[in-house]
Amino acid sequence: MVTENGSDLVLDGNAAAGLLHEIFVTDTTAAQIQCDACGSISAVGSLRLYAAPMGAVLRCTHCDSIVMRAVRTPHGRWLEMSGARYLRFSLA
Amino acid sequence: MDEPPISRGFRSRRQEQALKNRVPPGQYVTTDFPVLSAGPTPQIKLENWSLTLQLGGSVLGKWTWAEFEALPQTTIRTDIHCVTKWSKLDTTWQGVTIDNLFKAVGLAEPPAPYIMAHCEGAYTTNIPVADLVGGQGMIATRHEGLPLLPLHGGPARLLVPHLYFWKSGKWVRRLRFMEKDERGFWESLGYHNYGDPWKEQRYDGD
Amino acid sequence: MATETLAVQAPRIEWQLAEVRNIVIETYRVKSLLLHLSKWRGHLPGQHVDIRLTAEDGYQAQRSYSIASPPEDKLVTLTVEQVDNGEVSPYLVSDLRPGDQFELRGPIGGYFVWTVAMGGPLCLVAGGSGVVPLMAMLRHRDRRKRGVPTVLLYSSRSLEDVIYREELEAMARRDPDLRVVNTLTRKQPQGWMGHRRRIDKPLLAEACFPPETNPKTFVCGSTPFVESVSRHLVELGHDPLAIKTERFGPSGV
Repeated sequence: MVTENGSDLVLDGNAAAGLLHEIFVTDTTAAQIQCDACGSISAVGSLRLYAAPMGAVLRCTHCDSIVMRAVRTPHGRWLEMSGARYLRFSLA
Repeated sequence: MDEPPISRGFRSRRQEQALKNRVPPGQYVTTDFPVLSAGPTPQIKLENWSLTLQLGGSVLGKWTWAEFEALPQTTIRTDIHCVTKWSKLDTTWQGVTIDNLFKAVGLAEPPAPYIMAHCEGAYTTNIPVADLVGGQGMIATRHEGLPLLPLHGGPARLLVPHLYFWKSGKWVRRLRFMEKDERGFWESLGYHNYGDPWKEQRYDGD
Repeated sequence: MATETLAVQAPRIEWQLAEVRNIVIETYRVKSLLLHLSKWRGHLPGQHVDIRLTAEDGYQAQRSYSIASPPEDKLVTLTVEQVDNGEVSPYLVSDLRPGDQFELRGPIGGYFVWTVAMGGPLCLVAGGSGVVPLMAMLRHRDRRKRGVPTVLLYSSRSLEDVIYREELEAMARRDPDLRVVNTLTRKQPQGWMGHRRRIDKPLLAEACFPPETNPKTFVCGSTPFVESVSRHLVELGHDPLAIKTERFGPSGV
């Protein structure tokens, strides 16, 4: 969620759901993701979200490493997940 | 593509001033100082702070806070432009220009054409050295006369106001010379490699 | 095999037109907007929407708001708290009139979601305007009349700041399986017998279901609130994976 005054506040993956939905075409927030730096597994919705006006930078709640980054530009959508080992979606 | 519906009565809170020659295209002037960070605000203790100037495996210069503060200081008054469309006019900054930083280590000529600024939280941004010298870039430690708040990049941030503000990396720790240009954090994820607000170079492909 | 993998694929969420049908005053700075949507397909309690406003000069602002209404309602309700110096919330709370339109896209989010099919006991912990998505869950639960044991632990600054106060009181009065526990942290009315402090570990231990009952827990509010409550719950022995959180910005909703 874009904060009103843009102050330094952390939101979470739920707030990136709209952008991620454009990329994955399915809800990502309930998916499990494993952090490549520390191995912990979290739901995407519970990751800490930064930089929301420029894109989504999702960081591990345990070690703060970047797990996933996503950006929407007029020329396309970008996704970078080198900080994740896997993303696991359950059958709906 | 249909025009989006106008929401009756909704107005930008950001005052638009008739200073067309100071506001790049697509920007809106704000009196706030919005914060955008790619990670948590680091709480850096001055006794642990250092700035390194690096070329390949060599350290060309390294400063502790005390050493850095002892370098010649410059104050500038400038406008800043964020790619998220806000511009802030007449902001004052004090710090050490990149020219003075190079002088301090005896660099008459930059040894390579590009620099990657490495900042806390694994944030990076790449800038041609030609855009950092000649007074165009500094390492800023004070904003509006006061020590730079951690929220805004304190104790020290890079400041390159003629480019979009994501290039002015907060919490800068290391400047690494590069022979070949490499893309930094946002530049490798869809944002423009150079970022000139006057040419509206927001995104890769603009 | 390939055809079974994506059993349900969510449709691409597109921008659609929202028209304000009604505006309800909730508190001195919170209003609910009842919206008619051109292409709404329904939602799950806990989900949110993105809205986009366009000014005459083309300037656009986008924000997210949790859906306050249950899927059983025809109109979609958003509850908005006015933030000082906010750009969008003052417009939504003070300027918007029935008949006005803006763009909306959703529903969004499958993580912070609860339906009666998921069962209970259900533990809801709200800080300020964080109560909004939890209210969608409570309203849905109330309509389905499944008697899921539920507690709402709700922290507000004062009684005037308690959103949905009368509705929550009425729900709790008629439903023996629902407990609503308020705590007023800054100002309490004369004779207030309830809690007066920020939600801490003892308060959570007292109000929430014990870990052995395997409750489904949802925590919503500001980031410091959510992180503190989650930490306490884990220290009390709750399974971290059974605690779902949603952090709001300073705009709350």
